[in-house]
Amino acid sequence: MYEFLQYLVCDAMTPEPIAMSPKAKLREAEALFEVHDFNGVPVVDDQRHLLGILTKFDLLKAFIFDFHTLVPHYDEIMEQTIETVMTSHPVSVEPQLPLSRLLQKLVEMRAKSLPVVKEGRLVGMIAREDVLKALRRAAIQHETPAREEQ
Amino acid sequence: MTTLLYTHPRCLEHDAGFGHPECPARLTAILNALKTASFVTLEWREAPEASLEQLTRIHSLKHVERIFARVPRHGHYAIDGDTIISPQSGEAALRAAGAVCAAVDAVLKGEANNAFCAIRPPGHHAEPHQAMGFCLFNNAAIGAAHARVVHGLERVAVIDFDVHHGNGTQAAFETQQGYLYISTHQAYIYPGTGRREERGIGNIVNVPLSASAGSTELRQAWIQDVEPALHAFQPQLILISAGFDAHYLDPLAGLNFCEEDYEWLTGNILAVAKQYCQGRVVSMLEGGYNLQALAASVAAHVKVLIDAPLAA
Repeated sequence: MYEFLQYLVCDAMTPEPIAMSPKAKLREAEALFEVHDFNGVPVVDDQRHLLGILTKFDLLKAFIFDFHTLVPHYDEIMEQTIETVMTSHPVSVEPQLPLSRLLQKLVEMRAKSLPVVKEGRLVGMIAREDVLKALRRAAIQHETPAREEQ
Repeated sequence: MTTLLYTHPRCLEHDAGFGHPECPARLTAILNALKTASFVTLEWREAPEASLEQLTRIHSLKHVERIFARVPRHGHYAIDGDTIISPQSGEAALRAAGAVCAAVDAVLKGEANNAFCAIRPPGHHAEPHQAMGFCLFNNAAIGAAHARVVHGLERVAVIDFDVHHGNGTQAAFETQQGYLYISTHQAYIYPGTGRREERGIGNIVNVPLSASAGSTELRQAWIQDVEPALHAFQPQLILISAGFDAHYLDPLAGLNFCEEDYEWLTGNILAVAKQYCQGRVVSMLEGGYNLQALAASVAAHVKVLIDAPLAA
Protein backbone atom coordinates (compact mmCIF):
# COMPACT_ATOMS: atom_id res chain seq x y z
CA MET A 1 0.00 0.00 0.00
CA TYR A 2 2.89 2.42 0.58
CA GLU A 3 3.52 2.62 -3.17
CA PHE A 4 -0.15 3.42 -3.72
CA LEU A 5 0.13 6.45 -1.45
CA GLN A 6 2.57 7.97 -3.92
CA TYR A 7 0.26 7.65 -6.94
CA LEU A 8 -1.57 10.67 -8.28
CA VAL A 9 -4.76 10.70 -10.33
CA CYS A 10 -2.70 11.41 -13.48
CA ASP A 11 -0.76 8.16 -12.92
CA ALA A 12 -3.90 6.03 -13.24
CA MET A 13 -6.43 7.97 -15.33
CA THR A 14 -7.36 7.39 -18.97
CA PRO A 15 -5.80 10.43 -20.63
CA GLU A 16 -7.55 12.38 -23.39
CA PRO A 17 -10.75 10.32 -23.16
CA ILE A 18 -13.54 10.17 -25.71
CA ALA A 19 -15.88 13.10 -25.10
CA MET A 20 -19.10 14.30 -26.72
CA SER A 21 -20.57 17.60 -27.80
CA PRO A 22 -23.60 18.92 -25.89
CA LYS A 23 -25.41 19.05 -29.24
CA ALA A 24 -24.90 15.33 -29.94
CA LYS A 25 -28.02 13.16 -29.76
CA LEU A 26 -28.79 10.70 -26.99
CA ARG A 27 -28.82 8.05 -29.74
CA GLU A 28 -25.10 8.67 -30.34
CA ALA A 29 -24.34 8.42 -26.66
CA GLU A 30 -26.27 5.19 -26.40
CA ALA A 31 -24.30 3.80 -29.35
CA LEU A 32 -21.08 4.74 -27.58
CA PHE A 33 -22.19 2.97 -24.39
CA GLU A 34 -22.94 -0.11 -26.51
CA VAL A 35 -19.39 -0.28 -27.82
CA HIS A 36 -17.41 0.84 -24.78
CA ASP A 37 -17.78 -0.13 -21.18
CA PHE A 38 -18.06 3.49 -20.06
CA ASN A 39 -19.84 4.50 -16.88
CA GLY A 40 -20.37 7.94 -18.32
CA VAL A 41 -19.04 10.16 -21.07
CA PRO A 42 -17.74 13.68 -20.50
CA VAL A 43 -19.40 16.50 -22.42
CA VAL A 44 -17.11 19.28 -23.66
CA ASP A 45 -17.11 22.34 -25.91
CA ASP A 46 -14.77 22.85 -28.88
CA GLN A 47 -11.87 23.76 -26.59
CA ARG A 48 -12.52 20.69 -24.43
CA HIS A 49 -13.82 22.77 -21.54
CA LEU A 50 -15.85 20.41 -19.38
CA LEU A 51 -19.57 21.23 -19.56
CA GLY A 52 -21.07 18.14 -18.01
CA ILE A 53 -21.10 14.40 -17.86
CA LEU A 54 -23.63 12.02 -19.34
CA THR A 55 -24.00 8.81 -17.37
CA LYS A 56 -26.16 5.79 -18.09
CA PHE A 57 -28.39 7.02 -15.30
CA ASP A 58 -28.84 10.32 -17.14
CA LEU A 59 -29.92 8.34 -20.19
CA LEU A 60 -32.47 6.43 -18.12
CA LYS A 61 -33.60 9.71 -16.62
CA ALA A 62 -34.80 10.78 -20.09
CA PHE A 63 -37.37 8.00 -19.95
CA ILE A 64 -38.98 8.63 -16.58
CA PHE A 65 -42.68 9.41 -16.60
CA ASP A 66 -43.48 13.09 -16.66
CA PHE A 67 -46.30 15.37 -17.67
CA HIS A 68 -45.32 15.59 -21.36
CA THR A 69 -46.43 12.16 -22.50
CA LEU A 70 -48.40 9.26 -21.14
CA VAL A 71 -45.84 6.80 -22.51
CA PRO A 72 -42.26 7.91 -23.38
CA HIS A 73 -41.44 7.36 -27.06
CA TYR A 74 -38.03 5.80 -27.64
CA ASP A 75 -37.18 7.29 -31.03
CA GLU A 76 -38.33 10.72 -30.05
CA ILE A 77 -36.33 10.76 -26.84
CA MET A 78 -33.22 9.43 -28.53
CA GLU A 79 -33.32 12.48 -30.81
CA GLN A 80 -32.93 14.83 -27.85
CA THR A 81 -29.54 16.46 -27.40
CA ILE A 82 -27.22 15.37 -24.63
CA GLU A 83 -27.34 18.77 -22.95
CA THR A 84 -31.01 18.24 -22.08
CA VAL A 85 -30.28 15.37 -19.68
CA MET A 86 -26.57 15.55 -18.85
CA THR A 87 -25.36 16.34 -15.34
CA SER A 88 -24.13 19.91 -15.55
CA HIS A 89 -21.34 21.19 -13.29
CA PRO A 90 -20.16 17.70 -12.42
CA VAL A 91 -17.72 17.01 -9.62
CA SER A 92 -14.26 16.81 -11.15
CA VAL A 93 -10.77 16.23 -9.78
CA GLU A 94 -7.32 17.62 -10.53
CA PRO A 95 -4.64 15.42 -12.09
CA GLN A 96 -2.33 16.09 -9.11
CA LEU A 97 -4.79 14.79 -6.50
CA PRO A 98 -3.37 11.81 -4.56
CA LEU A 99 -5.06 8.63 -5.78
CA SER A 100 -5.77 7.69 -2.15
CA ARG A 101 -7.93 10.81 -1.87
CA LEU A 102 -9.69 10.05 -5.15
CA LEU A 103 -10.53 6.60 -3.78
CA GLN A 104 -12.17 8.13 -0.69
CA LYS A 105 -14.11 10.52 -2.91
CA LEU A 106 -15.43 7.75 -5.19
CA VAL A 107 -16.60 5.76 -2.17
CA GLU A 108 -18.19 8.75 -0.43
CA MET A 109 -20.03 9.79 -3.60
CA ARG A 110 -20.72 6.21 -4.72
CA ALA A 111 -19.43 7.45 -8.08
CA LYS A 112 -18.23 5.09 -10.76
CA SER A 113 -15.93 7.55 -12.51
CA LEU A 114 -14.99 11.22 -12.41
CA PRO A 115 -13.66 13.61 -15.04
CA VAL A 116 -10.13 14.94 -14.55
CA VAL A 117 -9.80 18.62 -15.29
CA LYS A 118 -6.81 20.93 -15.56
CA GLU A 119 -7.49 24.66 -15.83
CA GLY A 120 -11.07 23.97 -16.86
CA ARG A 121 -10.13 21.57 -19.66
CA LEU A 122 -10.82 17.86 -19.66
CA VAL A 123 -7.55 15.91 -19.52
CA GLY A 124 -8.75 12.48 -18.40
CA MET A 125 -11.31 10.19 -16.84
CA ILE A 126 -10.67 8.14 -13.72
CA ALA A 127 -12.84 5.15 -12.90
CA ARG A 128 -13.17 2.57 -10.13
CA GLU A 129 -11.41 0.03 -12.35
CA ASP A 130 -8.39 2.33 -12.75
CA VAL A 131 -8.05 2.61 -8.96
CA LEU A 132 -8.36 -1.14 -8.49
CA LYS A 133 -5.67 -1.67 -11.11
CA ALA A 134 -3.38 0.84 -9.36
CA LEU A 135 -3.93 -0.88 -6.01
CA ARG A 136 -2.96 -4.21 -7.58
CA ARG A 137 0.12 -2.67 -9.20
CA ALA A 138 1.20 -1.08 -5.90
CA ALA A 139 0.76 -4.37 -4.03
CA ILE A 140 2.98 -6.18 -6.53
CA GLN A 141 5.69 -3.52 -6.44
CA HIS A 142 5.90 -3.14 -2.69
CA GLU A 143 7.02 -5.78 -0.28
CA THR A 144 6.29 -5.07 3.38
CA PRO A 145 9.47 -5.44 5.46
CA ALA A 146 9.39 -8.70 7.32
CA ARG A 147 9.68 -8.96 11.05
CA GLU A 148 13.31 -9.77 11.68
CA GLU A 149 14.33 -11.52 14.83
CA GLN A 150 17.49 -10.46 16.62
CA MET B 1 14.94 37.03 21.12
CA THR B 2 14.86 34.45 18.45
CA THR B 3 13.31 31.24 17.18
CA LEU B 4 15.29 28.05 17.72
CA LEU B 5 15.37 25.08 15.37
CA TYR B 6 16.25 21.77 16.99
CA THR B 7 17.17 18.84 14.80
CA HIS B 8 19.79 16.09 14.49
CA PRO B 9 21.31 14.15 11.57
CA ARG B 10 20.30 10.88 13.26
CA CYS B 11 16.65 11.80 12.69
CA LEU B 12 17.37 11.41 8.96
CA GLU B 13 18.67 7.88 9.51
CA HIS B 14 15.57 6.35 11.09
CA ASP B 15 14.36 4.26 8.15
CA ALA B 16 10.99 2.51 8.12
CA GLY B 17 11.69 0.69 4.86
CA PHE B 18 11.23 1.18 1.14
CA GLY B 19 8.25 3.28 0.18
CA HIS B 20 7.16 3.99 3.77
CA PRO B 21 5.41 7.37 3.90
CA GLU B 22 7.20 8.40 7.12
CA CYS B 23 10.49 8.66 5.25
CA PRO B 24 13.77 10.59 5.75
CA ALA B 25 12.94 12.68 2.65
CA ARG B 26 10.24 14.40 4.74
CA LEU B 27 12.84 15.89 7.03
CA THR B 28 15.22 16.66 4.16
CA ALA B 29 12.45 18.63 2.41
CA ILE B 30 11.74 20.57 5.62
CA LEU B 31 15.38 21.33 6.40
CA ASN B 32 16.01 22.47 2.81
CA ALA B 33 13.04 24.83 3.05
CA LEU B 34 14.32 26.22 6.36
CA LYS B 35 17.77 26.86 4.89
CA THR B 36 16.42 29.47 2.47
CA ALA B 37 16.93 33.21 2.90
CA SER B 38 13.62 33.84 4.68
CA PHE B 39 14.80 31.75 7.62
CA VAL B 40 18.27 33.20 8.07
CA THR B 41 17.44 34.33 11.62
CA LEU B 42 16.60 30.81 12.78
CA GLU B 43 19.13 29.59 15.33
CA TRP B 44 19.94 25.95 14.59
CA ARG B 45 20.75 23.73 17.54
CA GLU B 46 21.72 20.08 17.70
CA ALA B 47 19.19 17.97 19.58
CA PRO B 48 20.62 16.13 22.58
CA GLU B 49 19.53 12.60 23.50
CA ALA B 50 16.68 12.38 25.97
CA SER B 51 17.66 10.83 29.29
CA LEU B 52 16.02 7.73 30.72
CA GLU B 53 14.58 9.95 33.44
CA GLN B 54 12.91 12.17 30.83
CA LEU B 55 11.47 9.18 28.95
CA THR B 56 10.15 7.39 32.02
CA ARG B 57 8.13 10.37 33.19
CA ILE B 58 5.70 9.22 30.48
CA HIS B 59 6.71 5.71 29.45
CA SER B 60 7.18 2.61 31.53
CA LEU B 61 10.76 1.41 31.84
CA LYS B 62 9.60 -1.82 30.24
CA HIS B 63 8.41 0.07 27.15
CA VAL B 64 11.74 1.87 26.78
CA GLU B 65 13.71 -1.35 27.23
CA ARG B 66 11.50 -3.19 24.76
CA ILE B 67 12.06 -0.54 22.08
CA PHE B 68 15.82 -0.73 22.42
CA ALA B 69 15.81 -4.53 22.57
CA ARG B 70 14.05 -4.55 19.21
CA VAL B 71 16.31 -2.13 17.37
CA PRO B 72 17.89 -4.40 14.74
CA ARG B 73 21.64 -4.53 14.01
CA HIS B 74 20.75 -4.45 10.34
CA GLY B 75 17.61 -4.48 8.24
CA HIS B 76 14.25 -3.74 9.82
CA TYR B 77 12.05 -4.83 12.69
CA ALA B 78 8.28 -4.34 12.45
CA ILE B 79 6.76 -3.45 15.83
CA ASP B 80 3.43 -3.49 14.05
CA GLY B 81 2.39 -3.37 10.39
CA ASP B 82 3.39 0.29 10.00
CA THR B 83 5.73 1.00 12.90
CA ILE B 84 9.03 -0.24 11.57
CA ILE B 85 12.47 0.43 12.98
CA SER B 86 16.02 0.28 11.64
CA PRO B 87 19.49 0.34 13.29
CA GLN B 88 19.48 4.11 13.87
CA SER B 89 15.86 4.37 15.06
CA GLY B 90 16.68 4.09 18.76
CA GLU B 91 19.04 7.05 18.74
CA ALA B 92 16.76 9.02 16.40
CA ALA B 93 13.89 8.56 18.86
CA LEU B 94 16.12 9.69 21.74
CA ARG B 95 17.14 12.78 19.76
CA ALA B 96 13.52 13.53 18.91
CA ALA B 97 12.37 13.45 22.54
CA GLY B 98 15.62 15.17 23.61
CA ALA B 99 15.02 17.99 21.13
CA VAL B 100 11.68 18.82 22.74
CA CYS B 101 13.10 18.78 26.28
CA ALA B 102 16.04 20.98 25.24
CA ALA B 103 13.67 23.37 23.45
CA VAL B 104 11.50 23.55 26.58
CA ASP B 105 14.60 24.35 28.65
CA ALA B 106 15.76 27.05 26.23
CA VAL B 107 12.38 28.73 25.94
CA LEU B 108 11.70 28.64 29.68
CA LYS B 109 15.16 30.03 30.43
CA GLY B 110 14.37 32.91 28.09
CA GLU B 111 17.01 32.05 25.49
CA ALA B 112 14.35 32.24 22.80
CA ASN B 113 10.72 33.17 22.32
CA ASN B 114 9.81 29.89 20.74
CA ALA B 115 11.25 26.82 19.02
CA PHE B 116 10.49 24.31 16.31
CA CYS B 117 11.76 20.74 16.57
CA ALA B 118 12.34 19.21 13.11
CA ILE B 119 12.40 15.63 14.30
CA ARG B 120 11.40 12.11 13.42
CA PRO B 121 10.17 9.58 14.37
CA PRO B 122 7.00 11.44 15.36
CA GLY B 123 5.48 10.86 18.78
CA HIS B 124 1.80 11.56 19.39
CA HIS B 125 0.54 7.97 18.86
CA ALA B 126 3.07 6.46 21.28
CA GLU B 127 1.24 5.45 24.45
CA PRO B 128 2.90 5.00 27.84
CA HIS B 129 3.27 1.26 27.25
CA GLN B 130 2.95 0.92 23.48
CA ALA B 131 4.72 2.15 20.34
CA MET B 132 2.35 2.53 17.39
CA GLY B 133 1.42 4.60 14.35
CA PHE B 134 5.05 5.33 13.30
CA CYS B 135 5.75 6.61 16.88
CA LEU B 136 8.15 5.19 19.48
CA PHE B 137 8.27 7.78 22.28
CA ASN B 138 5.72 10.53 22.86
CA ASN B 139 7.82 13.61 22.25
CA ALA B 140 5.08 16.10 23.16
CA ALA B 141 4.11 14.39 26.41
CA ILE B 142 7.76 13.97 27.42
CA GLY B 143 8.38 17.67 26.76
CA ALA B 144 5.29 18.71 28.71
CA ALA B 145 6.23 16.52 31.69
CA HIS B 146 9.74 17.96 31.56
CA ALA B 147 8.30 21.48 31.82
CA ARG B 148 6.13 20.51 34.78
CA VAL B 149 8.71 18.49 36.76
CA VAL B 150 11.97 20.34 36.06
CA HIS B 151 10.69 23.88 35.67
CA GLY B 152 7.82 23.63 38.10
CA LEU B 153 5.12 24.83 35.73
CA GLU B 154 1.58 24.17 36.89
CA ARG B 155 -0.24 24.34 33.56
CA VAL B 156 1.11 23.06 30.24
CA ALA B 157 -1.06 22.83 27.13
CA VAL B 158 -0.47 20.63 24.10
CA ILE B 159 -2.27 21.61 20.88
CA ASP B 160 -2.27 18.85 18.27
CA PHE B 161 -3.39 19.73 14.73
CA ASP B 162 -2.16 16.55 13.06
CA VAL B 163 -4.95 14.95 10.96
CA HIS B 164 -4.84 11.89 13.24
CA HIS B 165 -5.84 11.94 16.88
CA GLY B 166 -2.93 11.86 19.33
CA ASN B 167 -4.11 8.87 21.33
CA GLY B 168 -0.73 8.58 23.02
CA THR B 169 -0.70 12.13 24.34
CA GLN B 170 -4.29 11.76 25.51
CA ALA B 171 -3.45 8.48 27.27
CA ALA B 172 -0.50 10.14 29.02
CA PHE B 173 -2.54 13.06 30.33
CA GLU B 174 -6.16 11.97 30.71
CA THR B 175 -5.80 11.35 34.45
CA GLN B 176 -3.16 14.01 35.16
CA GLN B 177 -3.72 17.46 36.59
CA GLY B 178 -1.74 20.31 35.10
CA TYR B 179 -2.00 19.27 31.47
CA LEU B 180 -4.47 20.30 28.80
CA TYR B 181 -4.56 18.31 25.55
CA ILE B 182 -6.47 19.76 22.58
CA SER B 183 -6.72 17.90 19.29
CA THR B 184 -8.35 18.73 15.96
CA HIS B 185 -8.37 15.67 13.71
CA GLN B 186 -10.35 13.83 11.06
CA ALA B 187 -13.07 11.65 12.60
CA TYR B 188 -13.27 7.90 12.04
CA ILE B 189 -9.71 7.38 10.80
CA TYR B 190 -6.63 6.02 12.58
CA PRO B 191 -6.30 5.46 15.50
CA GLY B 192 -10.07 5.55 16.14
CA THR B 193 -9.88 7.55 19.38
CA GLY B 194 -10.58 11.27 19.80
CA ARG B 195 -14.35 11.42 20.19
CA ARG B 196 -15.74 14.55 21.82
CA GLU B 197 -16.96 12.51 24.79
CA GLU B 198 -13.37 11.57 25.67
CA ARG B 199 -12.70 14.38 28.14
CA GLY B 200 -10.25 12.86 30.63
CA ILE B 201 -10.56 14.73 33.92
CA GLY B 202 -11.91 17.70 32.01
CA ASN B 203 -8.46 18.34 30.52
CA ILE B 204 -8.93 16.69 27.12
CA VAL B 205 -10.62 18.61 24.30
CA ASN B 206 -11.23 16.59 21.16
CA VAL B 207 -12.59 18.29 18.06
CA PRO B 208 -13.20 15.64 15.39
CA LEU B 209 -13.74 17.08 11.91
CA SER B 210 -15.67 15.36 9.16
CA ALA B 211 -13.86 14.10 6.07
CA SER B 212 -13.21 16.90 3.57
CA ALA B 213 -13.46 19.66 6.22
CA GLY B 214 -11.21 22.60 5.42
CA SER B 215 -10.44 26.19 6.34
CA THR B 216 -13.98 27.09 7.42
CA GLU B 217 -14.39 24.14 9.78
CA LEU B 218 -10.90 24.71 11.20
CA ARG B 219 -11.77 28.30 12.05
CA GLN B 220 -15.06 27.22 13.61
CA ALA B 221 -13.23 24.62 15.70
CA TRP B 222 -10.74 27.22 16.88
CA ILE B 223 -13.42 29.74 17.86
CA GLN B 224 -15.90 27.31 19.42
CA ASP B 225 -13.63 24.79 21.11
CA VAL B 226 -9.90 25.42 21.06
CA GLU B 227 -9.61 29.06 22.05
CA PRO B 228 -12.16 28.91 24.90
CA ALA B 229 -10.36 25.88 26.38
CA LEU B 230 -7.04 27.71 26.24
CA HIS B 231 -8.48 30.82 27.87
CA ALA B 232 -10.02 28.75 30.65
CA PHE B 233 -6.74 26.91 31.27
CA GLN B 234 -4.34 29.88 31.01
CA PRO B 235 -1.27 27.85 30.02
CA GLN B 236 2.21 28.74 31.21
CA LEU B 237 3.69 27.02 28.16
CA ILE B 238 2.17 25.77 24.90
CA LEU B 239 3.51 22.79 23.01
CA ILE B 240 2.34 22.11 19.46
CA SER B 241 2.10 18.63 17.98
CA ALA B 242 2.49 20.00 14.49
CA GLY B 243 1.36 17.44 11.95
CA PHE B 244 0.73 18.73 8.46
CA ASP B 245 -1.20 15.76 7.05
CA ALA B 246 -4.51 17.63 7.14
CA HIS B 247 -3.20 19.39 4.01
CA TYR B 248 -5.39 18.99 0.92
CA LEU B 249 -2.61 17.22 -0.98
CA ASP B 250 -1.74 14.72 1.73
CA PRO B 251 -2.27 11.10 0.67
CA LEU B 252 -3.07 9.69 4.13
CA ALA B 253 -6.30 11.47 4.97
CA GLY B 254 -9.13 13.61 3.68
CA LEU B 255 -9.08 17.05 5.33
CA ASN B 256 -8.42 20.09 3.18
CA PHE B 257 -6.19 22.53 5.05
CA CYS B 258 -3.75 24.70 3.11
CA GLU B 259 -0.56 26.60 3.98
CA GLU B 260 -2.55 29.71 4.90
CA ASP B 261 -4.55 27.69 7.42
CA TYR B 262 -1.36 26.62 9.21
CA GLU B 263 -0.19 30.21 9.14
CA TRP B 264 -3.51 31.39 10.60
CA LEU B 265 -3.55 28.67 13.25
CA THR B 266 0.03 29.38 14.33
CA GLY B 267 -0.71 33.09 14.60
CA ASN B 268 -3.71 32.41 16.80
CA ILE B 269 -1.78 30.02 19.05
CA LEU B 270 0.95 32.64 19.43
CA ALA B 271 -1.63 35.28 20.34
CA VAL B 272 -2.89 33.09 23.19
CA ALA B 273 0.70 32.34 24.23
CA LYS B 274 1.44 36.05 24.29
CA GLN B 275 -1.58 36.64 26.52
CA TYR B 276 -0.78 33.96 29.11
CA CYS B 277 2.84 32.83 28.89
CA GLN B 278 5.07 35.50 27.38
CA GLY B 279 4.74 33.89 23.95
CA ARG B 280 6.45 30.67 25.05
CA VAL B 281 5.74 28.01 22.42
CA VAL B 282 7.59 24.80 21.53
CA SER B 283 6.40 23.16 18.33
CA MET B 284 7.42 19.75 17.02
CA LEU B 285 6.91 17.81 13.82
CA GLU B 286 4.39 14.97 13.80
CA GLY B 287 2.90 13.82 10.44
CA GLY B 288 2.68 15.19 6.89
CA TYR B 289 3.41 12.97 3.91
CA ASN B 290 3.27 15.01 0.72
CA LEU B 291 6.81 16.34 0.59
CA GLN B 292 6.04 19.61 -1.18
CA ALA B 293 2.97 20.37 0.90
CA LEU B 294 4.85 19.42 4.07
CA ALA B 295 7.83 21.67 3.33
CA ALA B 296 5.60 24.60 2.36
CA SER B 297 3.35 24.15 5.41
CA VAL B 298 6.26 23.88 7.86
CA ALA B 299 7.80 26.96 6.25
CA ALA B 300 4.52 28.87 6.72
CA HIS B 301 4.32 27.66 10.36
CA VAL B 302 7.94 28.53 11.23
CA LYS B 303 7.76 31.91 9.50
CA VAL B 304 4.95 32.90 11.86
CA LEU B 305 7.02 31.67 14.83
CA ILE B 306 9.95 33.83 13.67
CA ASP B 307 7.80 36.88 13.07
CA ALA B 308 6.04 36.56 16.43
CA PRO B 309 5.91 39.89 18.22
CA LEU B 310 7.75 39.96 21.52
CA ALA B 311 5.72 39.12 24.59
CA ALA B 312 3.63 41.87 26.06
